[in-house]
Amino acid sequence: MSKQQNEVPYGTLDLLILKTLETMGTLHGYAIARRIEQVAGDSLQLSQGSVYPALIRLEQEGWIATEWGVSETNRKVKFYSLTKAGRKQLLVEVANWEKTTALVARFLGTAS
Amino acid sequence: MTLRRAVKSLLALFRAARLDRELDDEIRAHLELAERDALARGLPPEEARRAARLSFGGVARIREEHRDRRSARWIETLLRDVRYGFASLPRTPGFTAVVTGVLALGVGANVAMFSIVDAVFLKPLPFPEPDRIVRVWEAPRPGVTNNTTTPDFLEWKRQAPEFAALAAEDDIAAALGGRGDPVRLPGKVVTAEYFQVFGVRAALGRTFRPEDAGPLVVLSHAAWQDHFAGDPGILQHRAVLNGEPHQIIGVLAPGAFDRDDTKFWKPLVFTSEHQSKVMHWLTVHGRLRQSVSLAQVRERMRAINAALVTSKPVDDREGTVEVKPLSRVLVGRNLERSIPIVFGAVGLVLLIACANVAGLLLAKGATRTREMAVRAALGAGRGRLFTQLLAETLALCVLGGVAGVALAWLLVEAAGPALAETLPFTAQVSVDWRALCFAGALALGACLLTGAVPALQTSFANLASALNRSGRGSSGDRSRIRRVIVAGEVALSLVLVSGALLLLRSLVNLQRIDTGVEIEKVVTMSTDLPERAYPTPQHAAVFYRAVAERLGSAPGVERVGLATHLPLNWIGNGEGIEIAGVSKLVRVRFKRVDPGYFSALGIPTLSGRGIESRDREGAPRIMVINQALATQLREVAGIDDPVGRVVRLSAPGYIQPGIRTPEVAIAGVIRSERVGPPGMPDFAVVYVPLAQFPAAGVKFLVRTRLDSASVMPAIREAVRQVDPNLPLTGVATMQQVHDRTLSSPSRLAWIFGVFAAVAALLTAIGLYGVLAHAVTQQRRAIGVRMALGARRRDVVSHVLGNALILIAAGLVAGALGAAALTRVMRGLLFEVSALDPFALGAACLSMALVGLLAAFLPASRAARVDPAATLRQDG
Repeated sequence: MSKQQNEVPYGTLDLLILKTLETMGTLHGYAIARRIEQVAGDSLQLSQGSVYPALIRLEQEGWIATEWGVSETNRKVKFYSLTKAGRKQLLVEVANWEKTTALVARFLGTAS
Repeated sequence: MTLRRAVKSLLALFRAARLDRELDDEIRAHLELAERDALARGLPPEEARRAARLSFGGVARIREEHRDRRSARWIETLLRDVRYGFASLPRTPGFTAVVTGVLALGVGANVAMFSIVDAVFLKPLPFPEPDRIVRVWEAPRPGVTNNTTTPDFLEWKRQAPEFAALAAEDDIAAALGGRGDPVRLPGKVVTAEYFQVFGVRAALGRTFRPEDAGPLVVLSHAAWQDHFAGDPGILQHRAVLNGEPHQIIGVLAPGAFDRDDTKFWKPLVFTSEHQSKVMHWLTVHGRLRQSVSLAQVRERMRAINAALVTSKPVDDREGTVEVKPLSRVLVGRNLERSIPIVFGAVGLVLLIACANVAGLLLAKGATRTREMAVRAALGAGRGRLFTQLLAETLALCVLGGVAGVALAWLLVEAAGPALAETLPFTAQVSVDWRALCFAGALALGACLLTGAVPALQTSFANLASALNRSGRGSSGDRSRIRRVIVAGEVALSLVLVSGALLLLRSLVNLQRIDTGVEIEKVVTMSTDLPERAYPTPQHAAVFYRAVAERLGSAPGVERVGLATHLPLNWIGNGEGIEIAGVSKLVRVRFKRVDPGYFSALGIPTLSGRGIESRDREGAPRIMVINQALATQLREVAGIDDPVGRVVRLSAPGYIQPGIRTPEVAIAGVIRSERVGPPGMPDFAVVYVPLAQFPAAGVKFLVRTRLDSASVMPAIREAVRQVDPNLPLTGVATMQQVHDRTLSSPSRLAWIFGVFAAVAALLTAIGLYGVLAHAVTQQRRAIGVRMALGARRRDVVSHVLGNALILIAAGLVAGALGAAALTRVMRGLLFEVSALDPFALGAACLSMALVGLLAAFLPASRAARVDPAATLRQDG
């Protein structure tokens, strides 16, 4: 259904967000987007806005929790934090990711 | 998608506005933060704002994606389409009304029928743990089940630990006196564990205990409400049953028993008379212990019976005992056969209704080709157009479904009394949530069935040609599909109509059968004799004889007869006769009549004599047999002339208890009268003089000179002169008794007839629609032909010819279908082949007539086309 217009590989954004929240604790959307950009450096072209559709999905899955707070500009804003289920999910996703990359790496290794 | 997310995304649908607002807040805050950071990096304000927006990405796209992610998008779209569909309905009120009506008819009949099927076959019986309730029968011969003797019942009870409760019962009736006229109520005498078997409790007082005996009574909740006005202090009162005061010890809680005929229960205490080993009179029900299987209890009963059998009369020794779940016993073979067939018939009606609606939708689609083409040109995908058209159909089907449920409710309400009479009392028919679910499924199914083809047709129309066309022509494809649909309707209707005609023929045949009795101007009635005033059959006999004498001399009365069983009614008493030199017992039905019986009903004596007044108590024992028995005697024992023969008659209680099979002489042979349901072969019947074997519960048969109704007052007066306290019960003309024996086949024929008529009507509407549409479409062509010299007659015959082709195609297909489908009705037909050429031919003819009638209107409209006007119009 979703057209793959974001530059981040499909599905990885979830992983990045979860990992960010695990390292940084409670953050609002802008901070999450900035953090991902910083860590990625030049290797990633992210429209910051695309974190929001990802965030609502993660919230519906129950992996992250939200609470209303006040931003540095004094605006009402949602803060996101990892839940217990989210921590577990992160482990699963990391494991999946490692398995996939390992497989692809092995495949590329033998093919060359 | 996890369940949690599925729920959340559904919830998100309803919270869409709030979620949108929250997202907007977040975006605003995000942009502000980004702008602040950009300013901090030293960008000028304008640049900073631009940079913030740039790195955020397209706000509109993010919003869209947010919506996609948080909720199942297709649901949102579908809901919008359905809402749009509903909104579009009032724009075409005529179309909406017709489609809703047609669907309501189909859905309503099906939902009503489903409620019946559900109540009779699917729902568990309305008792606690109903699977454990069983009926226990004796099975003296394969395929024959019989009531039980008292000694056997007591043995079963003693030796079968598999039963948590085992109870015997017998039907009785009593006149309930007290306030106002006495009313006759059916009741039962039951042993103590009866209510435990069914798991029914008392709401007031208690039910029976083993030590209960004497004039005690338990009332059903309904009887308490109807006859005692729900008096809470009822246990302090006494009920007068047959003139004798009874202590009311309990009132049952409301429940299934309120729908049964039985209004009261009395304790059954076995007397020495009841200990007879040949009197099979008890109906036995049991409740199995938990974790006891049917196979286990069957095994046990067989073992018990094997031990008992050695002491039984020779002829009962091959028998066994049968244990059947109550749910299987309650639904008779008749219902088991006819309900699925009727359900199939309403299914066909719904199919025809759907075909009709599909045809109407196709016609409507034709007028929207341009609209669809314009939308497609503006960028709407075909999938979207398709789902949107389907959603419009869904709106129609939902409306039709709702109307259908209302119709079903009305039908079930209206049919209530008839249903209560036909179905087992445990079946409570109501349009409940299960029926609603079924209705929902039907509406969805109807939507797919009716909507898919038209929606495909309309949404896949060729864009360019549709836009280029002046909006006049019709797509050839579409009208071809409509013609196929209408031919299909004709075929389905033919199946129903021929089914109805077969049942009708069968009914006529049943009505025509010679019953062997003359029933014109004969009325029947009986009275309930109170036990106190008439303690023995001999006392009753005095009463009956006195009444018969009075009636005989009453003005307007021609003849009077007395009998234990009405003519045309089944004789429950099955007995046997032993003939010297023949090892096998000859099975007979056993009926007691007075000397007036045969002449009152016009039954002629074939040889010997009938029963006469000299056959009194103390006179030599005689019996009269019917022709069927005479034939049987010839076949079995080679007796050519049975008159004067002496045989042994095994009938419990006849003569004296000590002699089991007294010798009785055959005095005469009479022509057979019909016994039991129509269409069965004549049963062998033995008649003995009522005077020699008195009975209570005797029926009067009065042949009147004039119309029976005008003689009724005189009849009542005659009975009143003998005993002024006795009400007449069961007053009916013999014609009514005759009709009652035919009620179930005639009801079935009626139901089928109505369905067939509805089907034919729907088909006529469908055919009319197609032809009318075709005429409108071909207006110009018709005009041109007429301008070129075609006469009106040619135009009319062209349209009718078109119709005939459709009808003929449908009839050919339908005849094949009818041949295949009516075969399932074979079991319901009497002396009619399921392939009866008359019924099939008449069905074809009537469908052809209905079709031509429907075609007549469009044809005459075609004939009225004014060539000049049509040609000018095109100018």
